[in-house]
This record gives sequence, C-alpha cells and structure tokens, in this order.
Amino acid sequence: MSGWFNAHFVSMVDGVAYGLLLFTLAVGLSLVFGMMDVLNLAHGTLYLAGAYTAYALSDGSWLGLLIALVVGLVVGLLGGGLLAAAVAPLQGRGHLDQAALTLGISLIAAEVMVMLFGAEVLPTAPPSALSGSVSVLGHTYPVYRLAFIGIATLLAALVYLAFERSSVGALVRATVADRDMVRTMGVDTRKVLFGVFGFGAALAAVGGVLGAPIIAPGPGIDERVLVLSLVVVVIGGLGSVRGALLGALLIGQVQTLGVALVPSYAPFLLFGAMLLVLALRPQGLFAPGRA
Amino acid sequence: MRARRTPILIAVAAATALTLSACGGGTLGGGDEEEAGSGGPIKIGLLVPQSGVYKSLGDDMKAGFEVYLEEHDNMLGGVEVEVILADEGETADSGKAAADKLVKQDEVTVVTGVVSSAVMNGVVDLFETSKIPLVGSNASPTTLTDATYIWRTSYVNDQPGEALGAYVAEQVDGSVYFLAADYQAGLDEVTGFKRSFDAAGGETADEVYTPFPGTTNFQPFLANANSSGAEALFSFYAGGAAVEFVKQYDQFGLKGQIDHYSAGFLTEGGVLDAQGESALGTFTAMNYNFDLENELNASFVEAYEAKTGLKPTTYAMASYDAAHVLDLAIEAAGGEDADSESINTAIGEIEKVESPRGTWTWSEIGTPVQTWYLREVQEVDGTLANVVIQELGEL
Amino acid sequence: MNSLQVRRTLLVGLVAFALLMVPWVFGAFTVSTFTRALVFAVLAMAVNLLTGVAGLPTLGQAAYFGVGAYTGALVSIHWSELGIVQLLVATLAGVVAAVLTGPLAIRGRGVAFLMITLAIGEIGYSAAGRLDAVTGGTDGLSGILPVVVLPGGEGLVNEGLIYYYVLVVAVLAYLGVGMLLRSPFGLTLRGLRDNEARLRAVGYRTDAYALGAFVYAGGLAALAGSLWASSQRFVAPGDMGFEIAALALLAVIVGGVGSMWGACLGAALVVFTRDYFGQIVSGHAPLLLGTLFVLAVYLLPKGIAGGRAQWRTLFPRSHAEHPTAEVR
Repeated sequence: MSGWFNAHFVSMVDGVAYGLLLFTLAVGLSLVFGMMDVLNLAHGTLYLAGAYTAYALSDGSWLGLLIALVVGLVVGLLGGGLLAAAVAPLQGRGHLDQAALTLGISLIAAEVMVMLFGAEVLPTAPPSALSGSVSVLGHTYPVYRLAFIGIATLLAALVYLAFERSSVGALVRATVADRDMVRTMGVDTRKVLFGVFGFGAALAAVGGVLGAPIIAPGPGIDERVLVLSLVVVVIGGLGSVRGALLGALLIGQVQTLGVALVPSYAPFLLFGAMLLVLALRPQGLFAPGRA
Repeated sequence: MRARRTPILIAVAAATALTLSACGGGTLGGGDEEEAGSGGPIKIGLLVPQSGVYKSLGDDMKAGFEVYLEEHDNMLGGVEVEVILADEGETADSGKAAADKLVKQDEVTVVTGVVSSAVMNGVVDLFETSKIPLVGSNASPTTLTDATYIWRTSYVNDQPGEALGAYVAEQVDGSVYFLAADYQAGLDEVTGFKRSFDAAGGETADEVYTPFPGTTNFQPFLANANSSGAEALFSFYAGGAAVEFVKQYDQFGLKGQIDHYSAGFLTEGGVLDAQGESALGTFTAMNYNFDLENELNASFVEAYEAKTGLKPTTYAMASYDAAHVLDLAIEAAGGEDADSESINTAIGEIEKVESPRGTWTWSEIGTPVQTWYLREVQEVDGTLANVVIQELGEL
Repeated sequence: MNSLQVRRTLLVGLVAFALLMVPWVFGAFTVSTFTRALVFAVLAMAVNLLTGVAGLPTLGQAAYFGVGAYTGALVSIHWSELGIVQLLVATLAGVVAAVLTGPLAIRGRGVAFLMITLAIGEIGYSAAGRLDAVTGGTDGLSGILPVVVLPGGEGLVNEGLIYYYVLVVAVLAYLGVGMLLRSPFGLTLRGLRDNEARLRAVGYRTDAYALGAFVYAGGLAALAGSLWASSQRFVAPGDMGFEIAALALLAVIVGGVGSMWGACLGAALVVFTRDYFGQIVSGHAPLLLGTLFVLAVYLLPKGIAGGRAQWRTLFPRSHAEHPTAEVR
C-alpha cells in the first residue's frame, strides 16, 4: 500500500493543483449559467486572454506577475462586461442562440489572438523565485505548482465565503433560486447579473494569468479549457460553488491519478467519468435548490 | 406560413447563384477538359496550413519554397511560375477541401506542401485519379508505398526513429521507456525506432501513448516513466505538445536522471526557444540541421535568415528541395511544354538532388534516401541550438 | 388549386430545377462543395430532429455520422460497391449504435443531454483513432471504391454524377423526415419539446418517444455518413469529432431551429463559408464562420427560416409594410 501511495503521491498532489485551476475556470461559468441562464461558450477565451496577458507581461519578477494579475483582472472584467452586453439582447431566446453567439465571438477572438501572438504555444515563466523544482517526500515537483495550490486554495476559500456567507452572496444565491422573487423585492437583478458575469469572467482571466505556467497559452487552448470547465460544471451541478469545487477536484484526480493508473485508457477517462456521474445523477452532484 | 418564405428562398438562391457563377464551366457537358494553354506561367499549388495548430510549420514551408523562387527569379525550369496558396487547416477534412480546390478549380499543374499525414492519406485518391503530381514536403505516412503521382522530399514517418534505434541500444545500459503522442505518426515513429533498437538488442521498459492533441499535463505519464527504472526515454512530440513535454520532463525531475532521445521534431524550429533551457542535452535524430557544412546550405541559411530572421528548419529545407525538384523536372519535361504527366515522369527520372542536407536520391517509394544526423541541444553563443554530433548512417 | 398551392408548387419546381442544374453550370470544385453541403444538410436534419423538433440539443450526432461513414467505407472495401447496400448497412449500424447509447443520453434533458451527447461523440472520436485494425487509425481510412448505383454498372467518378447520387438520397431523406414530422409520432415529439411534463401527465411514455427520436436521428446521421464515405472516398476520425458536431448544431441554429429546409440552408451556408469562401480569404475560415454566427444571431433571431418579418427589417421596402402586400 505504501509503495502504491509513494508511486502515485505526486499524481495526487498534481491532481489538486489541476483541480483548483479548473475550479477558478469553472466557477464563473457555473454561476453565469446557474444565475443568468446564459451558456457562455466564450469562457475558454477569457482564460486564454488571461494566459496571453501573463505571457506578455510577466518577466520573471514579482512585479511582473502583479502587473499581469491587475491587467488580467481588468481584461476579464472588460471581457465579461462585453459578453454580458452582447448576450443581453438575446433575453428569452434560449441557450442555443447564446451558444451560437458566444461560440462565434470566441472564434473571432481566437483569430485575433493568433494575429497578436502567433500560432505557437507560448510557455510562460513564473516569477524566478518560484521557477525551480523541490523535493516533496522524495519526489521532484515544480515549486510553482505548490505555490499555485496555496494561492488557488485561498481564492477558492474567498469565493466560497463570499458566495455562501456574505449578504451579497445571499442575494446572488437568491437570484439563482428565483430571479423573479428577487426582482419583486426591489432589487435590480440586471445589476446582480452583470456583476456575476464580470466576476466570473475576471476569475477566469485571473485563472489564466496564474495558470499560464501550467496550461500555456496557444491556439486551441480556449476550446480545451472550455470543454474541461463544462464537464466540471455539469458534474458539479449548475450554479453551485460547492459543486464546482467538488467537480473540479474530482476531474483533477481523474486527469492525473486516473491517467497514471490506467494510462492506456487516458483519452476515455474524462468523458467516461462525466457519463458515469450524469447516468447516476443527471442534475449533477450538487444542483442548487431550484424548483 | 409557408408561402411567406417564398421570396426569401428565391432571393437566397439567386444571390448564391450570382456569387458562384463567376467560376464558370460546367462539370457535366461543358468542354472543360483542355489543359491550361501553353505560354502562360505554370500554376503550382502550395498546400500548407495557414490556420490551426500546424500554422507555424506551414509558415516555414511557405518561406522555404519562396526562398528558392526568389533565388531563381520566380522561374522553375526556365518557366515563370504562379504559386497558388491553399489553406490545409488542421483536419483531414479541411486539407482535402483545399486540395480539391487547387486541383479542380485552380487547375494547377502540380501541388506541393502537406503537413498532416491524415490529409496526405485523404488526398491520395484525388492526385492518383486526376494524374497531377504532388511533391509533398512533410507528411509521409508509412502506408503510402504504391503511389504513382505522389512524391515526398522529406522522409518516411518511421525513419527518424529507425535511424536512432540502434545507436540508443548501444549507448544505453539498461531499459528504455517509450512515450509518444497517440496518433499514427507517433505509432510509426516508435515502430521504426524499435525495429533497429530490438535488432541491436535494446531492452524496452514500457510503451505508452498519450492522448493527442488533448494532453497538456504530462505529469502522470512522466511519474510512471520515472518510477519504471528506465535508463533512457524515447519520445515523439511536435509543436505545442513538444514544448509542454520538454518543460515538464525538466520540472518533474526526469532531466539528469533519464536521458532523453527523440525524433528531431521535438526541438525543431520555434519550439526550441519556447522550451528554453529545459531542452538542453536532448538528443534527436533528423535529416537536416542548419549547421551542416556545405556550400548550398550556407547560401540557403543566409537567404532564409535574410527573409525571415530565423534559422531554417527541416520543414523549410524540404520545401526548398520540393521547389528544386520541380525546377529540375520542369526543365527536363521541356520547360514551357511541360504538363502534369511529363513533369511526373521527369520527377521520377531525377537521379540525384543537391540539397542543403547533402545529396540525396529517390527511394523505390518516392522518398529521399539520405543521411541522418544525431543532434544535441546545446547553448551556442548564448542561444539554444541543435548541434550535429555525428552521422547516424543512411536511410 | 389556390394561389398558395400554386406558389408552393412553383417554388418546389424552381428549387428542384436549380439543384438539378448545378453540375451543368458550375466547375468541379463548386459541384463537390455542393455535394458536401448536401451531405451536411442530411446531418443537420438529424441534428434538427433532436434539437429543433424534440427539444433535445445534441452535440453527439457526429458520432453516428462517423459510424455510418466507417460502416459505408468498410462495406465498400470488403463487400459491395453498391450504393444501396452501403446506405442500408450504414443506416442499420447507426440505428444499432443509437439504440445502444440512447438510453444513457435520454436520461438528461437540456444541457445535461447536450453534455452526454458531447461525451458520446468524444469517446467515439477517440475510439475511432484507437481501433487501427478496423478504422485505419488517426490517418484515416482510404481505398474506398467509387460507388456503383445499379448492379453491373460503373463506379461514379465524375463530380457531377456523384452530386446527383447524393442529391437523390438527400431528397429521399428530406421526404422521409417530412413524413415523420406529419405523423402522430412527429407531433408528439413537438409536444415533448413544448411541455414534456404535460405529455407525461396525460399518459405518454415520453422517454420512449425521446429514444425513438434519438434512434431515428442516429440512423439518419449514419445515412449521411455513408454518403460522405461515397463522395469523399476517405474517412478520418475528425469526421466524427467535435468540430463537425458543433458545426452541424450551429447550422441548425443559423437555419432556424425546427425548420428542416432552414437546417438544409444553414448547412449549405456553413459548408460554403468554410470550404469555399474560407479558401478565398485563405487561412481565415474560422473568422468568417465566427462572423457568420454572430451576425445570424443578431440579424435573424429566428434563423433563415424564421419568416419574412425579420428579413424585412433588414431590407426595408416601401410597400412591404402594408398588410395587403402579403397576398401578392
């Protein structure tokens, strides 16, 4: 047993890092979907924008990372605002039109990014203080991924507290559960919706800045990240922060520990896991209470 | 309800018809069989990716071809040429549609390019039935052995591995672990490697294929390789996956523990800069390197650098050679009188091609017989570069 | 015959004439693009049957398309060059695949259904790349023989003849779908989309209907796949991948969800944008497609088939505002 544990310890740790990265991406998608009932297929584009920001601005210094984070935050907020404004006229027209619109936007954005950054994958260096590897229980592991686990845990905790414990969070949760009721109480739900869209987008872009050294920016990354986040969201249950966290950590382990255990079935693990969950619980693991 | 739509449909149909009628000439009935009249420039289709994940390879191949044309005043075989560019894209589907357009609409005399093996397989029928020569400059599946109109100036997919296998079996004292991208080229590369590796008494630890193109995190695969007790690793990756793989091989502590051998694509061109110091000490097998010492290579490297600011890759070199092959063939086929058929015959009759990689000849299946080189990634004057260590023999 | 019927007949005749003329007017590449568009239109009808009629948005139809394409190809290589044999066996394979996977897919509705079908599609795509011995792996399956229409006849090589072959099958498929939609089964499917709970309350076994639609759509997609194999004479895993699935769904949205001829026009628009206009502005096909989707969503909220009102706002005509203009 201890031999098994020793052999796969690194994979499990990496699964946590990977899972937390997926959480920062998926939570925004999940909330926007759960709350605004908007299917945003340009979500992967926001990650990519953040990752390219990190590539362009980080120079191996802490200051570079800080600037990249701030710019990434702004890029995310702007992108989220633009997307919210773009889908606003589609109110009441269903998910399919939203899907077509946001996918169209993401195709255009992808082309623009290729024009700006070229078609190569651009690995992004973390701050030099975090660039090496250290030994964890006798296994070599990149320092940056350890640091990322710390930062992302903090981020996840903040999101969780803000959503589950604060009064703003209560309002958001109430909007998820019953938008009309909240509106009748005199709250401008559109502001809540724009706020959540911007927040989710900013989180994805910041995820991109922090995630660039792990999943480097390049053509096609937007689509891959989108599919991963969709899987997490569907497994976790739409509109649930807890579900997104659990789904992300589960998929993280599937994609690392699972792959290490049965490498020859690697291409089938992600969707196999999703099918299994959906076959048992079509509404996801943690569907929030909506009648 | 239904009747309301009538005018719309007519409008759409009319608009479509108007837009497309510019192409002219019916497929049925219309006397469209004539070859393009002599006297005008010869049309050459350049089929390379200009979008999608293979775009940078496409850029290299386009530049390589253009360098040759610029050196020869846009003339091949004494005739002016018109190059028609088509976007191969990323999938067999998009590549096939682009090839269709070159052959059926632009009515080119000859086509060159093609990055993806799947596209190459998909267009075999097209070129064989329309009897138009395709001088491919990259993709080269092992299964393509009996085509009449398809040539390649690159290699066969299993050759970089085969060239390296025996050498690794000799050098490594212990077992070798195999990791390759899970698609046909990856399988071919490993198969080729093991052919010469097994024959030389090499020992295999394990053979694992990683999902392609979906894998960005190689950690679980590298962890397994690390705990396998293997002495060396043979890999096959190209493009973005190559960048991620080399960096993570370093980050997860395999570098310095397990020697890394690979087919040359791993460190070819732009990916090497992206990999950075993680790539130092990687051994690869390739049919070309920019530092080869011969006169033709020196002038090629100079012209290529002047044009692009980059060192030429094997992709650019193979495309340069494709232009050279066409130059020789068109001249032999009679210059202005050359047509697809006579050019194809002339290509087969070329005895040897002087190339930046050294002189090569045609194999029985229309691929080069050439010298292979072992290269190591080293730091040269502050920048990373592949450096030729020794020859690996001829294949 | 009232004026409405006259106009319909006229319209059908006009469209039929235009479709028949294609190989006589256009060059080989344009004709082959039309052929691809027709095949894609059949696939889009299958997607529309689920998405537009039964209200089950799908990203998995490419999987059954792929099953049909590989089956048709294998039948051609190993057994029979006859088109009808390939079409029947491929359709049967698609039906079997849909029967096997359908019960899992219909456990979800809405986005859950979308994601389950996406998963089925992606797993099918990976499997096609893995099963080297059968599918030729990621490099694809070539060596498909030209399709033969009548026993003892010659294989179709000319683009124009291949186009006619695909056209005939596509028209039959269109008529078949039309019959299905007018049947009680088709009407119930619409009810499934509009209010499943009520249907269930009055005693319908809605899951059985959903499964029925899924199987029909699977067979139809496989039929399209077989046409694909015959016309392209090459099948690769990419043919059953995410891109095809997404484009088919988008074609339906652009065409007008629920309308079969809208789906066909949408499919043609997508194929021509990608393969034809995309080659003209070489290397920027995704940009063109993206622009197409964005514009379609804003300018044609109900798709191409969405009625004249939305077109009129785009191209205003002075007299068109008048109600009597409707009867013109």
